[in-house]
Amino acid sequence: MRVVIAEDDPLLREGLSLLLRAESIDVVATAQDAASFLDAVERERPDVAIVDVRMPPSHTDEGIVAAVEARRRQPGLAVLVLSAYVEQAFATDLLSTGAAGLGYLLKERVGRVEEFLAALQRIADGGTAIDPEVVAQLLTRHPARSPLTRLTARELEVLALMAEGLGNRAIARALVITDGAVHKHIRSIFAKLDLAPDDQADRRVTAVLRYLHDDAPR
Amino acid sequence: MTGDQAASVRGPAPQGRLGPLVARRLRRAVDALEQVLAGLATGVLALLVLVVVLAVAALCLVGVGLLLVPAVLRLLRGVANRERGRISAWHRPLPPGGAPPASVRAAASDPVVRRELGWLALHATFGVAIGLVGLTLPLWVVQDVTYPLWYRFAGPGSAPSLVFVPVHGLGGALLVAALGLVFLVLFVLLGPGIARLQSWPGATLLAPLGAADLSRRVAELVTTRAAALDAHAAELRRIERSLHDGSQNRLVAANVLIGAARRAVSRDPATADELLEKAQTATEQALAELRSVVRGILPAVLDRGLAEAIAGVAAGSPVDCTVDVDLPTRCAASVEATAYFVVAEAVSNTRHSGARSAQVTARQVAGELRLRISDDGHGGADERAGSGLTGIRRRVDAHDGRFALSSPVGGPTVLEVQLPCGS
Repeated sequence: MRVVIAEDDPLLREGLSLLLRAESIDVVATAQDAASFLDAVERERPDVAIVDVRMPPSHTDEGIVAAVEARRRQPGLAVLVLSAYVEQAFATDLLSTGAAGLGYLLKERVGRVEEFLAALQRIADGGTAIDPEVVAQLLTRHPARSPLTRLTARELEVLALMAEGLGNRAIARALVITDGAVHKHIRSIFAKLDLAPDDQADRRVTAVLRYLHDDAPR
Repeated sequence: MTGDQAASVRGPAPQGRLGPLVARRLRRAVDALEQVLAGLATGVLALLVLVVVLAVAALCLVGVGLLLVPAVLRLLRGVANRERGRISAWHRPLPPGGAPPASVRAAASDPVVRRELGWLALHATFGVAIGLVGLTLPLWVVQDVTYPLWYRFAGPGSAPSLVFVPVHGLGGALLVAALGLVFLVLFVLLGPGIARLQSWPGATLLAPLGAADLSRRVAELVTTRAAALDAHAAELRRIERSLHDGSQNRLVAANVLIGAARRAVSRDPATADELLEKAQTATEQALAELRSVVRGILPAVLDRGLAEAIAGVAAGSPVDCTVDVDLPTRCAASVEATAYFVVAEAVSNTRHSGARSAQVTARQVAGELRLRISDDGHGGADERAGSGLTGIRRRVDAHDGRFALSSPVGGPTVLEVQLPCGS
């Protein structure tokens, strides 16, 4: 797997490259700001780009803008956006480019290396990785009359994991239940929320996130 | 008089596009005439009251007048309120004044009464004179325009006002009528101006004093409050930025390094140890940055005032440091915190300059806090060299302050900072 990293903090940039190289992932370029990041993507054509949200000059949302732009220039480029805090609005911006090959995670998730590598692999394979924090933000902002209130506790857990981008098997492993049980829960959730059932993980993520987003009062 | 009545004065309906303009002008002239008449009436009243005021003032010299002062004040307030009503009807709303001050002493120190007296003198003279001019012009118009109708009865060789040659026959009388039309045009053009001029002293001097003052004060407060809030927001932004760019990033890096070390621990213990070493350095840096941010938010020592805080800095200075602080009032807390930070940073920098002594001066000038920190070291301080100077500039900028550094090679080094007090 070939990776480009855009991160302005030198220590973190080095730490990330070190970690990925130790896992025999090929870090082909590192960048300190949005412009050099876009150049590096153009030049190296990586499989995955890892981008920090806040970068010079204004330290606000350069990473989001750069990630959206990189995906526009190179459709199908997998992008993992890392951030010190999650902002649902940023997630919405990113998802406007499609959920396939997209990740948006808190920086500290990197420390759980095994899960981080799994998420990275999932993104590189065209899947999705949305931080549980984003999903939690979306899930808590719902009016009392929302159809979400009709879901059972277990179904809500399954819905959250679906929204994070996990596939059926990963959900089954996370909740320690069988694949069949997961399948049954998902059918029930989609029926209760009036969504068309879809087994394709990234299309399912899009549908679920859009549902959660539209249902939330703004 | 209403617009309809005014329209009846204009005679035959004017033709073409000029029509509406002429009609509007005429209507305004009639309005002006009405205003001037009403103004003349209040002017004559003012004249009468002025005479009474002067008489009572004269009587005051012999003592008995003092008893009449309250009555005169009521009279004054009455005529002023009549003028306020007239101006409210034509120009801008002026609320009537309430009961006048009861005692002579209160009246003497009341700015409203003083302004009313000023208005009284102006309106009784100037206002009456303007009123007479404004009234005479339309009278001449009527006299001259109608002259052909009655010149026969005026006796041969007579002439109306402002016509200094005897008028003979209908031809001459028609010429006088033409002159009347000229006066009409003059009044149409000048009438509104005359009316405004007549109302001007009242509109200025009889306006409520307190309200004007209060609204100006409110405007001032809104501005300073906005400035204070801006400074506050800038300060919060700076704290957020230093927490995010500093401690948070260090901790994230430490977390990543620990994660990597855990993966490596069984495979390659040497690498794991190296990673843990880096992680530990990162947490140490995070703690140091956290400490500096916490200290920078609001140093506890500032509770006792900036002067004492600066004295404390001087006491802990690496070189001999003299302090000259004269701050009669306190500034906004965030400004004082910044000033403290500037002084602390600059004084600790003297260590690098080989200085033997340093001076700190702090003054309050025109709503600004001015700081000057100088030392006798070898100079050559450079902001780009990564000393605390960048931090000083950033904090000063956040408060819209000014920052000037002079440090030629060989010394001396002088740092001057000016901060708006923000309160």
